[in-house]
Amino acid sequence: MASTVTPNGFSLDDSGQRVVVDPICRIEGHLRIEVNLDESNTIRNAVSTGNMWRGLEVILKGRDPRDAWAFVERICGVCTGVHALASVRTVEDALGIDIPRNANSIRNLMMLSQYTQDHLVHFYHLHALDWVDVVSALNADPAATSQLQQSISSWRNSSPGYFRDVQNKLKRFVESGQLGPFANAYWGSDAYRLPAEANLMAVAHYLEALDFQKEIVKIHTIFGGRNPHPNWIVGGVPCSINVDQVGATGTVHMTWLNMVSDIINQSIEFIDKVYIPDLKAIASFYKDWGYGGGLAGKNMLSYGDFPLIANQWDNESLALPAGAIINGDLSTVHEVDTRDLEQIQEFVNHSWYSYDDESRGLHPWEGVTEPNFELGPNLKGTKTNIQEIDEGAKYSWLKAPRWKGHAMEVGPLSRFVIAYALGREDVKELVDSTLSELGLPLPALFSTLGRTAARGLECTWSAHKMREVFDDMMANLKAGDVATANMDMWEPSTWPGDVKGVGMVEAPRGALGHWIHIKDRKIENYQAIVPSTWNASPRDPAGNIGAYEASLLGTPLVNAEQPLEILRTIHSFDPCLACASHVMSPDGEELAVIKVR
Amino acid sequence: MSSTTAASGPGTSSLKPVYVYEAPVRIWHWTHAISIIVLSITGYLIANPLPALHGEASNHFMMGYIRMIHFIAGYVFAIGFAVRIYWAFVGNRFSRELFIPPVWSREWRGHLMHKIKFNLFLTRKMEKTVAHNPLAQVAMWFFNVLVGLFMVVSGFALYGEGLGVGSWADRWFGWLIPMMGSSMEVKMWHTLGMWLLIVFAIIHIYMAVRSDIMGRESCVSTIIGGWRYWKDDQP
Amino acid sequence: MAVHETLYEVMRQHGITRRSFLKFCSLTAAGLGMGPEFAGKLAHALETKPRTPVIWLHGLECTCCTESFIRSGNPLAGDVILSMISLDYDDTLMAAAGHQAEELLEQTIEKYDGQYVLACEGNPPLNEDGMYCIQGGIPYVEKLKHMADHCKAIVAWGSCASWGCVQAAKPNPTRAVPIHKVIRDKPIVKVPGCPPIAEVMTGVLTYMIAFDRLPPLDRQGRPLMFYSQRLHDKCYRRPHFDAGQFVERFDDEGARKGYCLYKVGCKGPTTYNACSTVEWNDGLSWPVKSGHGCIGCAENDFWDKGSFYSAVTTAGFSAGAEATADKVGGVLAGAAAIGVAAHAAASVVSHMTGKQSEESSNG
Repeated sequence: MASTVTPNGFSLDDSGQRVVVDPICRIEGHLRIEVNLDESNTIRNAVSTGNMWRGLEVILKGRDPRDAWAFVERICGVCTGVHALASVRTVEDALGIDIPRNANSIRNLMMLSQYTQDHLVHFYHLHALDWVDVVSALNADPAATSQLQQSISSWRNSSPGYFRDVQNKLKRFVESGQLGPFANAYWGSDAYRLPAEANLMAVAHYLEALDFQKEIVKIHTIFGGRNPHPNWIVGGVPCSINVDQVGATGTVHMTWLNMVSDIINQSIEFIDKVYIPDLKAIASFYKDWGYGGGLAGKNMLSYGDFPLIANQWDNESLALPAGAIINGDLSTVHEVDTRDLEQIQEFVNHSWYSYDDESRGLHPWEGVTEPNFELGPNLKGTKTNIQEIDEGAKYSWLKAPRWKGHAMEVGPLSRFVIAYALGREDVKELVDSTLSELGLPLPALFSTLGRTAARGLECTWSAHKMREVFDDMMANLKAGDVATANMDMWEPSTWPGDVKGVGMVEAPRGALGHWIHIKDRKIENYQAIVPSTWNASPRDPAGNIGAYEASLLGTPLVNAEQPLEILRTIHSFDPCLACASHVMSPDGEELAVIKVR
Repeated sequence: MSSTTAASGPGTSSLKPVYVYEAPVRIWHWTHAISIIVLSITGYLIANPLPALHGEASNHFMMGYIRMIHFIAGYVFAIGFAVRIYWAFVGNRFSRELFIPPVWSREWRGHLMHKIKFNLFLTRKMEKTVAHNPLAQVAMWFFNVLVGLFMVVSGFALYGEGLGVGSWADRWFGWLIPMMGSSMEVKMWHTLGMWLLIVFAIIHIYMAVRSDIMGRESCVSTIIGGWRYWKDDQP
Repeated sequence: MAVHETLYEVMRQHGITRRSFLKFCSLTAAGLGMGPEFAGKLAHALETKPRTPVIWLHGLECTCCTESFIRSGNPLAGDVILSMISLDYDDTLMAAAGHQAEELLEQTIEKYDGQYVLACEGNPPLNEDGMYCIQGGIPYVEKLKHMADHCKAIVAWGSCASWGCVQAAKPNPTRAVPIHKVIRDKPIVKVPGCPPIAEVMTGVLTYMIAFDRLPPLDRQGRPLMFYSQRLHDKCYRRPHFDAGQFVERFDDEGARKGYCLYKVGCKGPTTYNACSTVEWNDGLSWPVKSGHGCIGCAENDFWDKGSFYSAVTTAGFSAGAEATADKVGGVLAGAAAIGVAAHAAASVVSHMTGKQSEESSNG
């Protein structure tokens, strides 16, 4: 291949200089990106390789479906709980279990607090350093930083003295010679555009957010016992509520409810006074850096989430609606049927698995996953020392999921675009006001920056939504309903012999689906297609490229030795590779054991 | 039938009765039996507790008592076992049979095969045995010595978890837990050990009674009075 | 080489007074369960030592250990990372990427050979030549062995690194193994849990740095200070266990009164960890306190011990098999009883026929 055009409309040219970034740090898991540059250092070909496979669903076969949530929760500890929720939903769907209203509210609260915390941590600790030059902050004027801070928000930590302290702390740290996590980065690159003062402000908030994020997840601790990896049960939530009877303090009681309420208030304040103003301030310096669109605005997918009416899964109930957008036509939002064997399918001809017929895709209920680690003829390096991968052959531990044959982008931006296209007022207002403040048109959203902005807006959306859900739950408690679990079908003896279910969650990173087949009260087959599998997917038999690869094309690098722009765009998806690559063999056949090296 | 009824009383044979089970062995047998019954019932209830009690926690100590009884019975079992081992050294020759099946003896192996055949109804000839018949001896050795020893060791290893790191039980027996993998694993096998002892008890009682009725020597009365009587004069 | 800066200097420069520094030391000492006499030693150690380099590697894992670590309230994770240790490599948090990131590993070996702490999150898979986990084009297990060769000691974070955890659950398709199965010549401190408690993680690390030695370990290599007792031993619901007051089903009357969760599968009686005392997320709650039994996540092989909802002693023998000790035992006992009955019947028949043949031959 020298130059080709993919069916989904992207030109690829692999003739230029190859640049490899592995590991991509500040993500969950292990990801490799390779690109080809033309003479002007613009990316003309991009290759995304999932670097790990754990085989979790092989492990699930034959187990008690009620236990599955704990196994799949360990798919990911960053977006902790999302797989557990998808799992209990898929089992409830298979068995026809309705959960009590309070359980629905508590699950919504846990997932909303997950959004809030995860988006916050992503922005400051995983993504900000792609925009913020920490070293430049050393040259900032604390007084000017204070003025900047006060001009954009009423956040309390805004005095010149405060910023001087932060700067001194940073200075001593740098002078110690032990740079720790800040060593060897691309500091000083011309791709960084913020003035020193904005950098200092962002560094201060990096530290503040690190301290604050642990407060948000206490909502998980109260209802689920801990975070990361809180507890769940099929049929509801494990915590009982006892507001005013004997033994109340041994359960979720008034003090804890008050604490949840306080955490919600603090989260709203931090997001609205720190995160959102920072986001807008940073965005204003990168407004003309409009790269990174890829599939954004073209093909986007959301399963929808946050049922405000318990057990009701249509867009009337879902606070974030479901749907799909194809070929950039925002006027039509297509319905997504996760049970239709022809809609969602996974392909493996570029993945390290084998199918009998690799030209075809398989729906998760019929899925086959047999690991097959083989490298193409154009590989540079050896099997255990890969220099440059051959994307003409198999090249990733991720499968390639497609919706009706289309590669799709998922995530906060997709959710917001679909909600926007469906005319959801809350989302429209957030998006429109932000765009008008920055003086940008709607298509500006379809970019790296748009993805980052949508995540921030969704963070404030979810913080405010927590308040609504909490107040609704309190009203329900006031009315005397304290039930949190439906145990009618807890005993496996009450289950039908052979059933299938699906469980959908919109995880912080995007559309997450779990599919289960329960036979004789045991898991017969379990499959998950997770957000990062959609986004980081390798190519399919038709040659369609996935969201990561598409988003990198056409981006110029300021310095090929410091591929900051690649990190920036890939980070805007918030990759999660442990999630993405845990697919399984439903037959559970034993895999070949290779001798220990 | 007449011969069986006649044989139920001692003295129908001219052969001299043998003093098989000395008093310490007999006392051990019965305390051991009682401790197994108590340990099994309380052990089962520890694994599968009774329906929940309601009211103030301070008014109840159900699980506490069940576990306490289990521990006391465990001590009886273990100390009895230790005393019994001691007696194997100082007691009469029968007191050692339990611990050392003479697998090296061709004659003994012959008796063992015969007894197996007999119990499978492959032969009708009954052999006389003074203490334990070879098959019983093997069963005793496996269930009473091996399983019993495992129950003592695993029981005290688990008991040591409650007493704490550094306690005598932890120091002496705590090594079993990492050896078997985890505390849960030990609990599981400890429970299975209980069931093995129950299986043994069922067969043991049946065989003893059967042998009393159908055999050529006394059995049940022997473990009560210590003397083995004979029902006929044939070798 | 740059001038080393001690933790004390860093703290002073951060505007922390000597008085609050000493207070920090006594609180830390108390937090680690040590008497006030240790506060002085701790202060001395922190005043004179440069920050210990820590290399934090990730194998097959889910990053829950890192996430837990940054939840630490005492000390704050930010303070640990920026002031107490020198986190010279951690792919989840570090700014660098690609070959610039990998260079840091060699730099650390060069500067601090035999002096850095290797913190391992996750574990290496051995099947497929280790290529189920690729980093920088090579198998993770090679990177791990290389970094272990030059380290001072290893901290095995979480159940993945300590025992194998979920990817090593049966049938362990990638043959993921705990760190001690591939590194045998370095001291390893296991800090199990899925994830471990944040303050347990920072507590272990600060202990090693402050006292310049490994914490005393139990038989299985876990720090005694956090892993010497079962949750059950210090569970606040223990009185309900002793009384015989149990939750029979989730959200029943007992659940709403906070009764013992043993009958709905709590693994507290077999799990060694500090959850019931240190608790989670600034000591707010822990699984039992929020109504779900302990799933035993700090124990070896806890995934393969039967359902999380069956009581401890009825745990299964293997994944998938419904066999439990009680079921197996019950079947054995039943079979024995039936066998005995059948044998008894056969004996009677045999006895009768034997009599007859004897009589007929005599006659």
